[in-house]
Amino acid sequence: MAKLNEQDILERLKDARTKRRAFEDIVNCFSRQLYWQIHYLLQNHEDTDDVLQNTFIKAWKGIDGFKGDSALGTWLYRIAYNESLTFLKQRRQMVSIDDEDFTGQATFVADEDFDGDETEQVLMQAVSTLPAKQRQVFCMKYFEEKKYEEISELVGTSVGALKASYHIAVEKITNFVKAKES
Amino acid sequence: MSTKDSRILSQNGGRYPFKVSDEYFDNLTARIMEQIPEEDVSDKNTKVLDINKNRRRNLWISVVSIAASLALIVTVALNVLPTTTQNVEEMRAEYTDDDYNEDLMTYTMADNMAVYDYLSGYAE
Repeated sequence: MAKLNEQDILERLKDARTKRRAFEDIVNCFSRQLYWQIHYLLQNHEDTDDVLQNTFIKAWKGIDGFKGDSALGTWLYRIAYNESLTFLKQRRQMVSIDDEDFTGQATFVADEDFDGDETEQVLMQAVSTLPAKQRQVFCMKYFEEKKYEEISELVGTSVGALKASYHIAVEKITNFVKAKES
Repeated sequence: MSTKDSRILSQNGGRYPFKVSDEYFDNLTARIMEQIPEEDVSDKNTKVLDINKNRRRNLWISVVSIAASLALIVTVALNVLPTTTQNVEEMRAEYTDDDYNEDLMTYTMADNMAVYDYLSGYAE
């Protein structure tokens, strides 16, 4: 991902002649990162693609209101997260995505974009049972190896709360796997 | 987390088991930008200029309309008024003293006898 000079982007967004080009640079810079962050929640390419496009369209509509109070990546991440939750609610794929007792799980055998073995399938099934926020935190920490400080900036949660959330997620996944094996 | 509890996580090694083609990301920016409406690109200054342009156009339409109306009124006045004046002159020429007296008698409901009495000094 190419590093973006946010100050430069903000200046270019203010000028109508450079606004569109600046936004294109934003899309170019953040699309890959946002794709996977949405995919952690939806775990499906087609749905992720839809939500990703909606995220950028929403971002374009709201770009005049972005004053740089938070990092651009944080702002985009929050739009993507909210769009993902809205999508999940609309599709009723989850009964209650923030319900701690939610036990829904996905199967990935038929998915063309799934590229894992049997163990990874069990792992992703376990991940799919986690509440949305916990799942995001787990995926960013475990799959992307992000630092808690980075995740904290993105999701707006304290490092302490993130650590707790991650450990609960690991515990749930472990219990899920144990239950599957027995 | 303990090694025992996270056996599956250790086995996996942190690999996210989904893939997406490189072509997808190659075309993604273009596909997204296609959905961004062009007209939204115009800035507020341009919109203000557009509004001013519309206002100037409306002002011109109003001025031209008023001028056209005045021209029409003047034209009608110039063409119709002389005709009217001419008609009045003609009517005056045709309106004799006898006609006047006739009308006077009609409006005052006077008959010939009353006129004769008036002229001979018998009228009260």
